[in-house]
Amino acid sequence: MISFLKMLLAAFIFPGFLFLSVYSLVLDFIDRKLYARMQNRVGPPWYQPVADFFKLIGKKTLIPVEANKMMFRIMPLVSLAAVAAAFLYVPVLGQDAVFSFDGDLIIVLYFLTVPPIAAFLAGWYSRGVYATIGATRILTQLFVYEVPLFISLLAPTLIAGTWSISELTAFYAAHPLYALINLPAAFAALISFQCKLERAPFDTPEAETEIVSGALVEYGGRLLAFFKMAHSCELVLVISLFSAVFLPFMTGYVFADFLLYIVKTLVILLLLTLMRVSMARLKINNVVSFCWKVLAPVALFQVVLNLVIRGSLQI
Amino acid sequence: MTNVNLIKKAIEWGTEKSPWIIHFNAGACNGCDIETIDSLTPRYDLERVGILKQGSPRHADILVCTGAVTLQTRDRLIQIYEQMSDPKFVIAIGTCACTGGIFEDCYCVTGGIDSVIPVDVYVPGCAVRPEAIISAVDKLLEKLKNAEKDENQQKNAEKIEEKTETAKNGEETAEQKEEPKNDA
Repeated sequence: MISFLKMLLAAFIFPGFLFLSVYSLVLDFIDRKLYARMQNRVGPPWYQPVADFFKLIGKKTLIPVEANKMMFRIMPLVSLAAVAAAFLYVPVLGQDAVFSFDGDLIIVLYFLTVPPIAAFLAGWYSRGVYATIGATRILTQLFVYEVPLFISLLAPTLIAGTWSISELTAFYAAHPLYALINLPAAFAALISFQCKLERAPFDTPEAETEIVSGALVEYGGRLLAFFKMAHSCELVLVISLFSAVFLPFMTGYVFADFLLYIVKTLVILLLLTLMRVSMARLKINNVVSFCWKVLAPVALFQVVLNLVIRGSLQI
Repeated sequence: MTNVNLIKKAIEWGTEKSPWIIHFNAGACNGCDIETIDSLTPRYDLERVGILKQGSPRHADILVCTGAVTLQTRDRLIQIYEQMSDPKFVIAIGTCACTGGIFEDCYCVTGGIDSVIPVDVYVPGCAVRPEAIISAVDKLLEKLKNAEKDENQQKNAEKIEEKTETAKNGEETAEQKEEPKNDA
């Protein structure tokens, strides 16, 4: 009974859903502030993401006549639920996640595929012109970045010999020098994550200047608030996953590890924001050719490298 | 009950702190449009007060509208206004948007923005300075705050509804008004 309560507490309060949503607001603010400072602006006040969320919650929800009402209402929640479920398998407090089993890395990667699919379905069932174009672009981009993302995240498992994120982190924490081998995959994964989050230079699906705001163009009010929340939670999930797989350096003390987790996430956020500020939007054909011609070969190179190292070291 | 009140207060606070705008040109000469875009540049940095420019009317709270309403944009303006979800506000930027300006009584112009949709704040000027636009948004938010305090929101909403109806059936009501005059 007590273990069950503990599990509920971990799943819903810390480091589960509540921590995820609060930390997503914090990272959202830091992202926007950094973006503003790099453009020589002052930027929003600290409460801006909270104010935006409450404002959207209070607005009236309008559903287009031609839209499929059920799909239109459900998709934001599907997106949020997938992200919140995946977050339970990513280690936040030390090296151990709330739940873990051999193969949870695959589960998390598949959960990460759900938000883009949900956005696609939302756009498709809105039946707007811009929404349909945005939705097809989301799907095109999904097929392109998913391959280098999967390969580059599965390459480190070849050395560690496990498909569980917690065990992977524990292995690399014990052998920190092995983590340096995965640098090419880390490069490919970081760019694929930027692509997954639809941030510049890969914000082709929600290109404001061409197709208004992509798949979510017909959304407003509460449903948009949940989509925005799911998106910023996805940012936290992606950054945590990256830090668990590619930056698995631990001190061994729980509190210090948590501080280290925050420092790691902030550093990764800085890199992602730097990428967003410094580059302009790519066309969809350029995204496709970049992902296939640059990212996929880098990820495949990492697989070959890791197999050679695994063979020569007899791990 | 206290929880409901807290959420209500949070929503009111959010509405004041995060006005998202959408810009629409109803037939302006582009002078006011340049100034509106000017006020969104890093020089003025409106994100400091939470103002973001949105592409879709469904995401936005404030319709920033420039120019006298021409017959061609009239239907589009009404459509965009109706796509925005409540609570929504309209700011008329420039003399033409306020009254019709030099285009008043032109054969292809219906007049200012308020001849089609209800307007909350008028900003005169030709062309308007970006500071005036920022001050207009500030005044709108102040008005909103006072309206919440006085609890007159419902009355305002009723007035706005009446106004939209009269704007839609503008010609009919004009005829009705004229009739009693003839009798007298």
